[in-house]
Amino acid sequence: MMAINGGRASLRLSVASLRAHRRRFAGTFLAVLLGVSFLAGTMMMGDTLRASFNTLFANAGGGRDAVVRSSDVISVSGKGQGVRQPVDATLVRQIQKVPGVAAAAPDIEGAGQLIGKDGQPIGGKGPPTIAGNWIADSKLNPYQIAQGHAPQAPGQVVVSRGTATRGNLRIGDTTVLRTPDPVRVTIVGLATFGGQDGMAQATYTGMTLGDAEKYLMPRPGDASSIPVRADSGVSQRQLVDRIAPVLPKGVEVITGERATAESQRDVSGQFLSLFTTLLLVFAGIALLVATFSIHNTFAIVLAQRTRDNALLRALGASRRQVLGSTLVEALAVAVIASTAGLFGGMGIAAGLQALFPAVGFPFPSGNLVISTTSLVLPLAVGVLVCVGSALLPAVRAGRTAPLAALRETAVDESGTSRLRAVAGVSGIAAGVALTALGASGTPSVLVTAAGAALTAAAFIVLGPVAAGYAIRVLGAPLARLRGVTGALARRNALRGAKRTAATATALMIGVAVVTLFTVFGASLKATLNQTVSRSFAGDVAVSAPAFGAGGSGLSPKLAPALAKLPQVNTAVGLGKGVARVDGAGRQLTVADPGALGRVLDLGKVDGSLNGLGTQAIAVSSGQAAKHRWRVGSTTTLRFTDGSAQRFTVGAVYQQGDLAGDYVIARQAWEPHRTQDTDTLVAVSFRPGVSAADGKAAVEHTAASYGNPTVQTRAEYAKSSASGINTMLTLVYALLALAVVIALLGITNTLTLAVYERTRELGLLRAVGQTRAQLRAMVRWESVLVAAFGTVGGLGLGAFLGWALVRAADATGATAFAIPPVQLVVVLLVGLVAGVVAGLRPARRAARLDVLRAVATE
Amino acid sequence: MTAADTVRTIAPAAQVRDAVKVYGSGDTEVRALDGVTVDFPAGRFTAIMGPSGSGKSTLMHCVAGLDTLTSGSAYIGDTELGTLGDRQLTLLRRERIGFVFQSFNLVPTLTVAENITLPLDLAGTRPEPGLIDELIDVIGLRDRLRHRPSQLSGGQQQRVAVARALAGRPDVVFADEPTGNLDSRSGAEVLELLGDAAHGMGRTVVMVTHDPVAASHADEVLFLADGRLVDRMERPTADRVLDRMKEFDGPSRQEARS
Repeated sequence: MMAINGGRASLRLSVASLRAHRRRFAGTFLAVLLGVSFLAGTMMMGDTLRASFNTLFANAGGGRDAVVRSSDVISVSGKGQGVRQPVDATLVRQIQKVPGVAAAAPDIEGAGQLIGKDGQPIGGKGPPTIAGNWIADSKLNPYQIAQGHAPQAPGQVVVSRGTATRGNLRIGDTTVLRTPDPVRVTIVGLATFGGQDGMAQATYTGMTLGDAEKYLMPRPGDASSIPVRADSGVSQRQLVDRIAPVLPKGVEVITGERATAESQRDVSGQFLSLFTTLLLVFAGIALLVATFSIHNTFAIVLAQRTRDNALLRALGASRRQVLGSTLVEALAVAVIASTAGLFGGMGIAAGLQALFPAVGFPFPSGNLVISTTSLVLPLAVGVLVCVGSALLPAVRAGRTAPLAALRETAVDESGTSRLRAVAGVSGIAAGVALTALGASGTPSVLVTAAGAALTAAAFIVLGPVAAGYAIRVLGAPLARLRGVTGALARRNALRGAKRTAATATALMIGVAVVTLFTVFGASLKATLNQTVSRSFAGDVAVSAPAFGAGGSGLSPKLAPALAKLPQVNTAVGLGKGVARVDGAGRQLTVADPGALGRVLDLGKVDGSLNGLGTQAIAVSSGQAAKHRWRVGSTTTLRFTDGSAQRFTVGAVYQQGDLAGDYVIARQAWEPHRTQDTDTLVAVSFRPGVSAADGKAAVEHTAASYGNPTVQTRAEYAKSSASGINTMLTLVYALLALAVVIALLGITNTLTLAVYERTRELGLLRAVGQTRAQLRAMVRWESVLVAAFGTVGGLGLGAFLGWALVRAADATGATAFAIPPVQLVVVLLVGLVAGVVAGLRPARRAARLDVLRAVATE
Repeated sequence: MTAADTVRTIAPAAQVRDAVKVYGSGDTEVRALDGVTVDFPAGRFTAIMGPSGSGKSTLMHCVAGLDTLTSGSAYIGDTELGTLGDRQLTLLRRERIGFVFQSFNLVPTLTVAENITLPLDLAGTRPEPGLIDELIDVIGLRDRLRHRPSQLSGGQQQRVAVARALAGRPDVVFADEPTGNLDSRSGAEVLELLGDAAHGMGRTVVMVTHDPVAASHADEVLFLADGRLVDRMERPTADRVLDRMKEFDGPSRQEARS
């Protein structure tokens, strides 16, 4: 029959085999399904978010046909959108005279953080807290009044509906707006943005033009930009062409479409890309783990089927037919599971869409948007992973010798080759050496990464060799503690070193990534902690929310107010500014340089911080070395207002951890300032003032400046690192899936092993093994495999973590920390996971009918 | 042989009363045992014979606590097996019964020594001093104790299985076609071991076989056909057993045997 139509026969075999072994492929099916779901869900969520934001900005910016703004933007790498100097609001009048202009209005945008009903600031933990002037022309204003009215008198504000809800504020409520100086405001209206309750998680407060100029702009008469609306019949292009000639130098006009596109790009490019890339990386890890699980399942199933395949070969099936039927089988599993995964992905995306608003992240409403890529790519990846994983085992199946039909059922219990041991050991040696080389001296990320990758690969190669030794060692106490049950579990885990290693490898990868992040996170925390303890010489720190942007910072008036307290010796406010130095945007620390040295430890200082005045700046030794500056050198700073000024390097200091690379005196920054805020006020007490007294006094004064956080040195150091915990929690949650897939792999392998060992289990039961003992035996085997994977993962992860910390450390200031408690937790979780993974196979084994097992021929 | 006569008066080590075992129902119903009552006297070597499908294996499985009767009762000593749950049956097999199967008798991951003490290890008890040593000498594999089953010949494996079956001083040793996969010489060695167990050590041995030569090693042969006990033969010889077996092979039965 086979000779007549080979292809059909292969297909028929595949279908029959799939039907017969459905349960054995359940694990593979689940692994592919979960991986594809995660990938597809991530991509679909990205699609939906991007589409929603695009619609949002298009709606909101729809009435703006052109935007006039200052053309120069100074951006510091890695610090967001950059800073643009204000434009002169009097330009509005000239623009209004341009033919074709229907309306133009000054638009002021700054930072303003509202205090909610409970006295806590709203938002400010990442997304911006926007404050601006309420533009009367409803087509120029992206916000629309939904309830109440526009601000008409000083102190009246409109807030976005989302902001009001979060702060539990209503129309008629009076509260405080930190700009950063606290301003008492009364809410007179609620607004929507492009039909939504707000722009993502940003908060919005709209004030009168007068208030906005007063609180948000360095000078009255300034505006952030000027939106323009065209008469009907005038295109955006025409409008821009007409306005451009009347603008002074340094001011530009762009079309409304371009402005919208820029806003969309800012959100998609920064927030969304980061978010979806992060998710995609973890989807990739989950799929990598799945690859090992799937490969292992196919290898085992096909080894178990050696006799069947040999019989087919003996009956005249060609190699290609056996290979073909196996691959068709894999393809069928892949396609079905991946397709199911796409639906799973839709479920995940829809679930997140429903979940996000519940946790305070306004996911713009709207239908699920699914691009073709989001369907095709996950499907392709799922099929590729599944069929690719099955390829080697399938080729092996095709090579089955017809004679194998006559032998005893051949289960792959082959040992490990010497070549593998040699390759693995030398690979690890080379990898570690390369990593160490890359990490030592001046770190080379490329060399370190290559070394780390080599080490990881060598770990996987060495797995089967290491499995033998590791299980023997890890299982040694088991045999002593659990008697023959433990001994049997240990021997079982040792039976197929290759299989045990392959099963454990999936978990090892998962645990390695978990460990990598744990170690990296702990090192970052230690570094931050060390930095603050080393550099902060004051007694208390008053700070705006520590992590990320957003918020409105601290009032620059706070530091002088604190300095007047009888308990306080020195109080220095640190503000931030930007300027272009040698063509690159740099962040400046704006402070009183003379006092700075009394609250921050700047290390060794060349020159003098006193009397920098308006003519000199202080720079860190790192920057000084880079630019070949010494005390007395001169350099030009170009500010956002277009002006440039030559400064002398007045001092060079050693430690820039808290002070940054450039320190400029407040009076030198004054002419170029934008909205003035401090991010940190460092306070030291007079001798004899107790920490508690001093802190209480500072808190009392700070309360009237919007109630910022006052922390002792230790508290400040600790909270600086708290953002890392949030990141780690997110990473752990994302890695949970990879670990679950790895556990499915263990469950699957054990289930197949139980099937393989039917007769042996029957014999054990016949000669007196109780069900409980049998269950314990399977469970302990599972724990041993999991322990091997976990321990391997911990080792590999800790090493990779070390490599990452060293490679990322250009300054040599980064600490490397191994958090023992967390790693013990990881180990315990791994072991418990092993118990869980063994539950189902153990139950199946215990249900085994003794008689049938014994009687099986 | 006089010893066997005196032992007969002692209470049986195992017995079944009106044993009925039905597999399936309706059209597919098979009565594997159809009212069998039989004693297995202590200290005797009993062989059960019969054509395929006669119910001889089922009888052994039910007495040994591996299978349960549909009706009737099975006893090991005074213990009625029908009243026991899975755990109690398992403990009974472990403590009072020894098994020798046709093949796959040994756990492949355990050494010869570990296989012999397996039931004791599972029970967490220590073997009687000297007994294991004695058994090892009897099976003649002292130099193979640390070997794995896969390194032994089939005959050696079966001898280890016999030692394992005897290691816990069980009341009854059940052997299911113990020589089925062996050549005649290895088979004879195993049968001698089983005979020694009964006559030398006083164990009760019950063996299912279809080989008249194997059966001739027993003190008594029970013949089963169609789920009933049809005959018994004291002091069997291979020829007599063969003759008796031929009577079962009517023309119709010839076809039923595979």
